[in-house]
Parts: sequence; C-alpha cells; structure tokens
Amino acid sequence: MSNKHLFLNSGFVRAPLQNGVGRYVCQLQRIVLKFCKTHGSCRGLRDFIEQDLVDFAKQNPGVVVYLKPRRHRGPVAVAEYLNGDRVWMNLANKTHSEITKWIEVLRTQQGDIASTRLRKYQYTDHPSIQGPWTPFTFKNPELNTAVLPDQKFGANDRLPMSATEQLRLMFEKQKLEEGDVKTAE
Amino acid sequence: MSVIRAGLQKITNVLRNGPGGILSRFITNVAPVERKSEAETTKDVIATCNKLIEEKPSRNFAIVHLLGKQWRVTDGDLLVVEGYWPPNIGDEIKLEKVLVAATKDFSLIGRPLVQPGLVNVTATVISKGLSHTRTHFKKKRRKQFMRINFQRAEQTMLRINSVEIASKINEPAKNVF
Repeated sequence: MSNKHLFLNSGFVRAPLQNGVGRYVCQLQRIVLKFCKTHGSCRGLRDFIEQDLVDFAKQNPGVVVYLKPRRHRGPVAVAEYLNGDRVWMNLANKTHSEITKWIEVLRTQQGDIASTRLRKYQYTDHPSIQGPWTPFTFKNPELNTAVLPDQKFGANDRLPMSATEQLRLMFEKQKLEEGDVKTAE
Repeated sequence: MSVIRAGLQKITNVLRNGPGGILSRFITNVAPVERKSEAETTKDVIATCNKLIEEKPSRNFAIVHLLGKQWRVTDGDLLVVEGYWPPNIGDEIKLEKVLVAATKDFSLIGRPLVQPGLVNVTATVISKGLSHTRTHFKKKRRKQFMRINFQRAEQTMLRINSVEIASKINEPAKNVF
C-alpha cells in the first residue's frame, strides 16, 4: 500500500496575486524540455518537438520554451510558474499524444497543485453577508421586551389540538364565511 | 383536615383556566384570520427592494448550481470544481443557473431558478490541473481480497468576478436567449 499520502501537505484554495480579478495572467512562465537524440524512450518527446513545439510557442508568447538535448538520458519536462513553483515531470516512453496532453496540463495549471490536498473547495473573503444564524434570527422581536415567565411565550404549543378546540375553530371559520356565501350564479 | 383542604384547592386551581393551568393549555385564543387584500404590502416590498437594487448599499451573493453542486458565491470568491469540464484557462463565463440571489436586506428565491436575465454571475477560469493522487485501498480480512487503485481528478479553479442583480424585480421577463 502507498504511504505517500502520510507526507502530503494539505492546504486551502488560493490564487497567486489576485489572479483573474482584473485580468487573467497565464501562470506558466518557463518550460524546459530535456531529451536525448538517440534514446528510444525520448521518441514521443522528439515527435512533439518536431511537430507541435513551434505552434505551442507561437500560441503562448508569454511562455519561455527551452530545449535541452543531452546524451543518453531520459526525457523530462520542467515547468516553472509565476509563484515560484517548479514541476518536474518524467516523460519516458510516452507517446506523442500523451505528451501533448501532459504539456497542456503543465500549461493550464497555476503551480504545483498536485502536491497539496485541498481541505476546502471554496475560498471567500465574506463568509456571511446576511449575518450568521443565531437562535433569535427570524424570531418575533416581542420576545426581547417580554417579562418572563410569560403565558404567551411559555405556552406549550406541542400538545395536540383538542376536539373542543377544533370545533371552536370550525365554528369561527363558518361565522367568517357566512358573510360572503358564494353561489354558482 | 386543613392539609387535605389545601391540597383540594390546589387541584381545583390547576384545573381552572388560570395562568399555567392544564385547561389553558388545551384552550387557546387562536382564531382563523379573515383574508384581506395584500396588494398594498406587496407593492411596498417590491418598491423597497428595487430601490435597494439601484442604490447597492451592500454586497450581493447568489447560490449557483454548477456541475451538480450548489455554491454560495460573492464577488472575488474562488471555487474548485472537479471532473471533466470543457472551459479552458482565461475563459470568462456566465453562470446561468441561479437558485437564490440576495443582498444583506432581501433575498430573491427561485422556483427553482431565478428568472433568466435578472441576475448576472460572471466568472473567470483561472487554472486547470489534476488533483493530488488519491489512493483507493480496499481489503477484506481473511478473504484473500485486496485492491489498490490510484486516481487523479481534473480540477478547475474559478474566480467569481461579479454577482449583479441586473434588472428590477417584477418587471416582465425578457427573453435573454
């Protein structure tokens, strides 16, 4: 079983430098692709570099792309972000399409978000706007000035309605409705 | 004798309708209320709310339905939604499913949604990435059963830019689509 989670840091949702409030800034600043020109495990990365890298650089003018050929070493991508995070990713034996997807992930994330477990999925500066609930919210403000014990507030309203009470209510309702008897005309 | 008499008196007191008596608990002063026209109060309430919308004395918030979950959002909030979701970074989107919109002083409650066009909730997609690796470990004792799975969910972070009550209450619905 994996015990890696025992050392996993936990954190809360944050965005660096109020990102997205006025405008959005891409958080990826620099990406270094390290590869070997002969190694078989670098095949996918070499394909990516030949076919897609120029387009990637054109579409993301804010991102600095470095290529670092080195002999007889595995393929690696290192991404550096605006908040100082550095993400190292092994790309050995990954195909061209897999590498395209992983580089897209590196581009769109805002830092090393995979290294922290989120404790909450929302962050707000204003946790309550109408005020937090208390036992007295939506209660009759008469209670504030009443002198207790009071017959009105101390009444036991949890008892079932008695038959006499029910009859009385029906009678009073009838009296109210007698005034305007509706006919079919 | 006097003790017995006092006891009897107590019992009769309890049975009477005095304050705190048993009978008083069964007989209340509740009476059905005659129906009166409520047009005046409704007008007043709506006029007050419209005035508050114009003056903007307090911050708005809304409850928004997003990917099967309900979020309470105000300006400047951060949300993280999990799972596959097409919007990409930098996209500015409008959250249409508003269940409740409110300010400090009043709340507009949708049945189930607030009328489209009344409330304007906009957000920007800030970040799209993968969560930390979650371990799903299952084991049954004495049954030679053990499974271990690892998974990472897609996480999209949203910044709420504005929660605005755009038009006045009780105006005829405009077709915004």
